[in-house]
Amino acid sequence: MTTSFELGLRRGVIVTGKWNRGRYRVERMLGEGANGKVFLVQRERDKGWYALKVGANAVDLQSEINVLKSLAGQNRSSGTGSFLIDVDDLCAMDGSEHPFYVMRYVRGATLSEYLERSGPEWFPLVGYNLLLKLSGLHDAGWAFGDLKVENVLVADYGRVELVDYGGVTAFGKSVRQFTEIYDRGYWNAGSRTADAGYDLFSFAVMCIQLHEKRKLAQMAASLLPQNRSPEELMKLVQHNNALRPLSGWLGGALTGRFANGREAAAAWQRLMHRPGGNRRAGAVPGWMKAMFMASAALLAVTIYWYVRS
Amino acid sequence: MYQILLITDGCSNVGVNPVVAAATAQSEGIVVNVVGVVDQGELGDYGKAEIEEIARAGGGMSRLVNTRQLSQTVQMMTRKTVVQTIQLAVQKELKQVLGTDGKIEELPPDKRGEVVRVIDELGETTGLRVALVIDASASMKPKLHAVEEAIRDLMLSLQARQGQSELAVFHFPGTSYGDDCTLDLDWTTDLKGVTSIFPKLQMRGTTPTGPALMRVIDFCREDRYGRRSKDETDGMMGDYVV
Repeated sequence: MTTSFELGLRRGVIVTGKWNRGRYRVERMLGEGANGKVFLVQRERDKGWYALKVGANAVDLQSEINVLKSLAGQNRSSGTGSFLIDVDDLCAMDGSEHPFYVMRYVRGATLSEYLERSGPEWFPLVGYNLLLKLSGLHDAGWAFGDLKVENVLVADYGRVELVDYGGVTAFGKSVRQFTEIYDRGYWNAGSRTADAGYDLFSFAVMCIQLHEKRKLAQMAASLLPQNRSPEELMKLVQHNNALRPLSGWLGGALTGRFANGREAAAAWQRLMHRPGGNRRAGAVPGWMKAMFMASAALLAVTIYWYVRS
Repeated sequence: MYQILLITDGCSNVGVNPVVAAATAQSEGIVVNVVGVVDQGELGDYGKAEIEEIARAGGGMSRLVNTRQLSQTVQMMTRKTVVQTIQLAVQKELKQVLGTDGKIEELPPDKRGEVVRVIDELGETTGLRVALVIDASASMKPKLHAVEEAIRDLMLSLQARQGQSELAVFHFPGTSYGDDCTLDLDWTTDLKGVTSIFPKLQMRGTTPTGPALMRVIDFCREDRYGRRSKDETDGMMGDYVV
């Protein structure tokens, strides 16, 4: 809970680390997670841009750092590059000390912004990239936990980055952080124990959230707790033209049919490459009908004038 | 580890001061958290102050929420309290080892990692018992559905932990006349099959928050003592066998 944490860093403020003496100039706030606030900063030494996360609580932030460190250790072989740049404490104006860490800055839009700007045709690819990203975590024995629209950043050409690792949990332990509407337990679809299926469930809810945001919120508010179920979520899928072609996959993710992230990603990929997969086939668009009617009317008028003259 | 979670929407008005009761719990190593459920801001300044005070005396935290936020709040509070309780215990150990305050913040960042790993591990595996104490006075009646939902949601989160996790539920004032509080559900790890946590409640005017807390502290104490004495008996038996 972040209620008592009010630390704001204004633009231009120089943050100096207490232990490592790293100096960073604050540019602006990028976002707020459950464990703290994230700022865009410029490191004085190399003028490079980084993201700096300040936490309210040393233990909470440190357990996030622990996760990032073990992920970095596991990724060293695959050459993903180090995510964690610096870990230190800062001294605020009022003398209070706050832990922070510095990480690579990911320039990107949130998932919904990206799809709005670049068009829905990017959705299948972005979804696939995200599933691959999750699979990487799953292979290393972690669940992301708090998967939601706000925690997915999309860079150019649909490249995906996960942000806010506060919910990342080792398989078999209780999920550290989650958001109700994306939570498997909330929908009576399984436990809150971290496994690949937990993330895949949230992924499916996220697909629904992207296409039927209003109806999903209404459903969550109106259903009695004991009536929340994957079947109810599937009703939203069936009523949406963009989601219906994915209903087999979404149903699988909502009921835990995929053994792991790789299997789910492979199934998603098969959907993408299905002939006419995400193209609308058969139905004649409305505007075409209207144009046809208009030209027919024009022809009739022309013939009328021709005959009269 | 024992926790008491009080869910209320108003001021206590009879019997021992709930702040004294909470302080008693704290001195026995039981943390008291308080959630004030306020949908229309019916809780006055006095009520707010009391809620904060009870939590402070009980070494826990307090939150004012509406019924929609109740589940999430209860779940987060319980989790946070587990970590904090363990953090305090670890701090005590560090204090002895390092001779400082023992605060995690005093360690250089690269040393914190290992300590926090231990805290996280214990937080996940330690046995946990949460006693929920529910205010069932007349004004709470429309909120009891949300309370029941929050209890079921908490059970779900507890079940995901690796350590043995149980909860018990009390409501106050008690069902029979003159009773400060009634046990609705004894320590359990599963709510499946429990159709209704609060069967027919008799709504009465008084809000004996303090006496109810005292009764629940007794309950936890007996539970703990009962276990310990059993262990001791086992130990003695062992001695005899040897």
